[in-house]
Amino acid sequence: MSTAMNFGTKSFQPRPPDKGSFPLDHFGECKSFKEKFMRCLRDKNYENALCRNESKEYLMCRMQRQLMAPEPLEKLGFRDLMEGKPEAKDEC
Amino acid sequence: SSNPFQRAQEDEWRRRNKTVLTYVAAAAVGMLGASYAAVPLYRLYCQTTGLGGSAVAGHSSDQIENMVPVKDRVIKVTFNADVHASLQWNFRPQQTEIYVVPGETALAFYKAKNPTDKPVIGISTYNVVPFEAGQYFNKIQCFCFEEQRLNPQEEVDMPVFFYIDPEFAEDPRMVNVDLITLSYTFFEAKEGHKLPVPGYN
Repeated sequence: MSTAMNFGTKSFQPRPPDKGSFPLDHFGECKSFKEKFMRCLRDKNYENALCRNESKEYLMCRMQRQLMAPEPLEKLGFRDLMEGKPEAKDEC
Repeated sequence: SSNPFQRAQEDEWRRRNKTVLTYVAAAAVGMLGASYAAVPLYRLYCQTTGLGGSAVAGHSSDQIENMVPVKDRVIKVTFNADVHASLQWNFRPQQTEIYVVPGETALAFYKAKNPTDKPVIGISTYNVVPFEAGQYFNKIQCFCFEEQRLNPQEEVDMPVFFYIDPEFAEDPRMVNVDLITLSYTFFEAKEGHKLPVPGYN
């Protein structure tokens, strides 16, 4: 599909990701976190919102093992999952 | 011997010719300046309207921190994986689809295996369908546009961390878009070959 020819006026310009490429997890260091995340997706009918804790844990595993540049979790979109921030406060 | 009326008429003609020449020269200079200004003006126009799939200004970590998910606008994202004919990897998505909302970061996984007995370096590009939705599809981190070396018989997970811009929910052209397909294609990286960033036109 990505190799389909695009006739006419449509154009698509791929953009590099904001923070570059993930290093490869050659030794499967975060594989167990990925499996937990995938199991959650299957159990929750692939709704991303219900598995954000597992994706946060996977990214934290990568940061801890130098497989991702360290970044505050708020800047990765997990502000509402941070402890000490009740939901009502975020909605103010 | 010319009479005064004729001389005045010639002076009037000479003055009008100068005026016309001045206007023509000004128009030429103006058109030259407008052609130089067209590139930044067009880029500015595309950034504000998002036409042509150009990058929209204002995407950064600070924006991610302050995003508010639009929870009533669910979008199904499906995943596709391809390899070029000369690349002997097994490459596939690890989930068929996920349901996301604009303004919420999401994680998805691909898996790649090198079943050969020598190391292979692959490099991938991606495509988003429909194209108009591509301007709202923002990848924070993935595996594209960089060489990825797989050793013999090695298999790795390849995550994609992305979000759909909250402005997606405000765009009237996106009202009927509730399915976005993300396609990745891996190519083999040849030694010494400079791969340009591809564009489809």
